[in-house]
Amino acid sequence: MTIKEKGYAHWDGNFVAKKFPWWPITRYGIKLTFRRKFFKLLFIMALAPGLVFLAGIYISERLEDFRFMIQGDTQFLSIDPTYFKAYFTNEFMLFMIVMMLIFCGAGLISDDLKFNSLQLYFSRPISKSDYFMGKAAVIVFFVFVVTLIPGLIFIIMKLLFAGNFEFLAKYPWLPFSVIGYSFLVTIFFSFYTLFLSSINKNRRYVAILIFGLYIFTDILFEIFEDIFRSEYFSLLSIRANIQQVGYALFRQNTPHDVPWVLALAVIVGFCVLGGFVLKSKIKGVEIVK
Amino acid sequence: MSVEVKGLHFSYGRIKALNAVDISLPGGAIGLLGPNGAGKSTLLRILLGFLKPDRGEGTVLGYNIKNQQQLIRRYVGYMPEDDCLITGIDAVSFTSYMGELSGMPRQEAMKRAHEVLFYVGLEESRYRNLETYSAGMRQRLKLAQALVHDPKLIFLDEPTSGLDPQGRQEILELILDVSAKKDIQVLISSHILPDIEGVCSYVLILNKGQVASQGNLDDLKQVNYSLYELKIKGEEAGFVKGLESMKCRVEQTEDGLLKVYMPPDASPQQIFHLAAREKQQIRHFVKSQTSLEDLFAKVVGVD
Repeated sequence: MTIKEKGYAHWDGNFVAKKFPWWPITRYGIKLTFRRKFFKLLFIMALAPGLVFLAGIYISERLEDFRFMIQGDTQFLSIDPTYFKAYFTNEFMLFMIVMMLIFCGAGLISDDLKFNSLQLYFSRPISKSDYFMGKAAVIVFFVFVVTLIPGLIFIIMKLLFAGNFEFLAKYPWLPFSVIGYSFLVTIFFSFYTLFLSSINKNRRYVAILIFGLYIFTDILFEIFEDIFRSEYFSLLSIRANIQQVGYALFRQNTPHDVPWVLALAVIVGFCVLGGFVLKSKIKGVEIVK
Repeated sequence: MSVEVKGLHFSYGRIKALNAVDISLPGGAIGLLGPNGAGKSTLLRILLGFLKPDRGEGTVLGYNIKNQQQLIRRYVGYMPEDDCLITGIDAVSFTSYMGELSGMPRQEAMKRAHEVLFYVGLEESRYRNLETYSAGMRQRLKLAQALVHDPKLIFLDEPTSGLDPQGRQEILELILDVSAKKDIQVLISSHILPDIEGVCSYVLILNKGQVASQGNLDDLKQVNYSLYELKIKGEEAGFVKGLESMKCRVEQTEDGLLKVYMPPDASPQQIFHLAAREKQQIRHFVKSQTSLEDLFAKVVGVD
């Protein structure tokens, strides 16, 4: 059929003032991530710890029914802030988040830079911050799925299984810790991923950077700590900083003998630096001077 | 007026890209011409709000270019020159995505995406991944995304670049159809002069960041000079010199034809008087139509 046979018709609809103009960017980002090879498997693996910890909460309220399984040792099933801390700050969980970032975040900006699509976005009525929000919300979605959502479900299920509010009365600050920690991790990883995604046009290279930087900072911390015997080198490690702040938020003794506020400052500092880089990198046009 | 700009200045560091540009563009199809580095793309980028002018002001469809960029982008479609796409999705998803970003409701955007893809001739391949598209298909797709939200004005930056002659002709037909029959104003930036001549009725020529000429194409071609094509028998050098002393611009073609651009106040009889004085025989004399290429060469000062 040639173009003339079909013809052009004007659109008779109306534009809508969208509260979240960035939402289509997020929706497409999530959709495209699930289309990636092996991502669904990885996603299920990332959800597995949440299911195990949820089962733990159920078992803790039905100890009589499960006594044959736990053989008298009920200590590990006491549901308290330590239990939550164990879920949120365990190394496997952080590792799985980083693995998910490789799939969902590596190409978020680098693909747009590679295929010149920033000008397509910015020729629409969306602002730089809408674009950033849309991309960041993809990461927010995947990180919340393994942090905030399971954390809140744990609390709700604990209350439901117990049939009373004793748990909440004992630890009224716990929901805030869950929310605070989830936001901290999510905001940090959003800046971390988008910053790395904006500095290179090759998504594979960005994927290596996301994984490599996380591992490298940890190795660096351990090498320096071994040489200089100072725990302050934990501030070099992404994992150690997150864990340090996480322990503090769940009111646990921190794993390193360093003020947790310093670890928080490092995290915030990285986010600020990432924000500056993103601001300079995200442009409708690339100007070659 | 669809686009009005006054005293627009823009520099990339020390390099002045636009220098005191004043333009006033009517509706219809408008050609934006100029040699490389003339400031065409910079002007389009400023009109879309990608770049902020150093000085000057202007409006696009009545919206201020300095503080109403979002409204401009809602009612303007943009087809970039660069090869640009979003990977991992098909043409329908891509086009509807662009519609949604323009503020269209999701279902409307999807419906409209199908319509515009049919219109640009991509109906058969609209479910194919964009990575598999040829250069010609990508050009059509870029036009489709520029049209999806039914803009009042579209900016087309080199719309026929990288296309074979047939693809070029088809894109030009689409542009002509949109601008002539669908009441959508079109601003085409191109260095392919016949494209502009075939589609546009109004041209704006930029040179070294300044407006070299603007107006209705027919008027510009008529007003500036008259073109005569002639052949003479005998020594050409003296005759050409004589024409140039009459403020005519003369071009010699490979087949011995002389193209003489005469000032509007000059009479063709002067050519015959000169030939008589120089004792030359005029063997061929035709008043020719001036082309956009001639106008461009004249105002930009290149051959």
